[in-house]
Amino acid sequence: MDNAIEAVSLTKYYGDFLAVDHVSFDIRKGEIFGFLGPNGAGKTTTIRMLTGVSRPTEGKAFIMGYDIVSQSVEAKSLMGIVPDISNTYDEISAWDNIVFTARLYGISKAKREKRAEELLKRFNLYDRRNDKVKEFSRGMKRRVCIAMALVNDSKVLFLDEPTSGLDVESVLEIRSMIRELNKEGLTIFLTTHNLEEADQICDRVAIINRGKIAAINTPERLRQTMRSVQSVEVAFKEPSQNLIQELKQLASVSSVEKRGDKYRLLTDDPPTVLREIWNYAERTGCMPISINTLGPSFEDVFMKLTGKAMVEEVHRDKGKVGGMGRGQKN
Amino acid sequence: MSKVSKLDELSRSWAIAVKDMHIYYLKPSTLMFGVLFPFTLFLSFTVGRDIPIDRLVPMLVAQTVFWASSSVGPTSIPLERRLRTFERYLSAPLSLISLLFGKTLAGMIFGLSVSVLSLLIGIIALGATVTGFATLLIGLALSSLVFSAMGIMFASIPTENPGDVMMPLTSVRIPLLFISGIFIPISQLPPVGQVAAFMSPLTHTLDLIRAGLGGQSNFGIAVNIIILLLYIAAFMWLGTRFNLKIMKSE
Repeated sequence: MDNAIEAVSLTKYYGDFLAVDHVSFDIRKGEIFGFLGPNGAGKTTTIRMLTGVSRPTEGKAFIMGYDIVSQSVEAKSLMGIVPDISNTYDEISAWDNIVFTARLYGISKAKREKRAEELLKRFNLYDRRNDKVKEFSRGMKRRVCIAMALVNDSKVLFLDEPTSGLDVESVLEIRSMIRELNKEGLTIFLTTHNLEEADQICDRVAIINRGKIAAINTPERLRQTMRSVQSVEVAFKEPSQNLIQELKQLASVSSVEKRGDKYRLLTDDPPTVLREIWNYAERTGCMPISINTLGPSFEDVFMKLTGKAMVEEVHRDKGKVGGMGRGQKN
Repeated sequence: MSKVSKLDELSRSWAIAVKDMHIYYLKPSTLMFGVLFPFTLFLSFTVGRDIPIDRLVPMLVAQTVFWASSSVGPTSIPLERRLRTFERYLSAPLSLISLLFGKTLAGMIFGLSVSVLSLLIGIIALGATVTGFATLLIGLALSSLVFSAMGIMFASIPTENPGDVMMPLTSVRIPLLFISGIFIPISQLPPVGQVAAFMSPLTHTLDLIRAGLGGQSNFGIAVNIIILLLYIAAFMWLGTRFNLKIMKSE
């Protein structure tokens, strides 16, 4: 058995609303798998079904070969979960949070105390082990949450928006922690809004939109399949007032976006666009000062597949208090 | 992978109970509905009335075990839904029944503690005497378990606000006080009231406590125990079914 996670036609209805529509995928052992999608696409619902928090309406999910519904105790013994908000027990100490979680997993007293000490030291929380978690910063709570998820020597780690709402330092720390845990052999399933994060960390990503998987592949291959969103980025010395309209007239350009002092010309044929820009410059005297050809960015791929801009999603996410609430199914 | 034994499950339930004791026993809604409310209600119904001790003390003890045991779950579960710590149990390797049993144990121990306090008040301040220790112990243990399970069943209402559970629960708890012989003796109830009294678990709590304190059980100790055991099973089963339904719909 090479798969750590297997989803087979996983489906979830909320009343008449189809939130997840026959989603299937396999995640190999030792893989970092990213799950991306706009708000309401079905990411959190999928993760809730995979972790046994919510029951699928149809379909099955397996964790290390164990059915999450009929062999839930076995499946859950092998996984750790870090939800999109840090659901620690704020009124008890970091130490007690970890020890309590270990007790839920049936870990013996000596082993759970050793493990709690190891994890608190690893996540630089040992000096604050006796402080109540409500006194901790968001980043520290996140680390407590990750420590709680690792207390059972889990084989599969689910991370729902692990870096959402954290400061830059905490984000970098958690990303490096994810890589480190993966090197130690942990299979990681993470949902994220951050495409750069998915691009940098994940071995493979799935893009989910309106409850259906739109694509599953490595970030690089997804980019390669999107030839139509290649682009040429050009900056002009003295751009004319109608520059955008004029660039749109170029035969091989499908659309033009202004980004700072640069213009991004989307095309499926960058060499021809380069010739057209040169002809345009000679004809109008509007000379380029820099030209770059760009492959499709991961954001382009996402937009193409979901029809939504990721920036829009991130802003919407930041506007939420405390991340995805239970009432806000994703 | 080694199977999780019943003993393992029990130890996980106990871990939940201990954690709940640390976190929820001193929460305002637990203290208000579990301690303040029964004592205030008792005082408001007894002060200035000439009620004999053999009625007064069982009334106090039965009321406190009833209110205190049923107040912890309805405080802890909605708060844990709000903070999403409830999901920790759902994704942990333990069965739903073990989770709910852990929650029930926390309410049971709280109910037992408060009712022992009220019993001590009854013995020291009001001069009551324990004549049937075993009956009293069984009565308090079963009653705290049954009312805690009742609170847990009501806490299955999918809400993040303890008030949304306390409201319907209290609207059931208050009528139970009037049909269970707490304020009105069962013999003074109309025939339909007497049937309702038999159906109420609180009647059987009062019966057992009265029998333990030198009085008589209306329906017999064996019947009292059987009815309470049936209610424990029913409330636990319904609580599990309701939570399973929530897991399917959420």
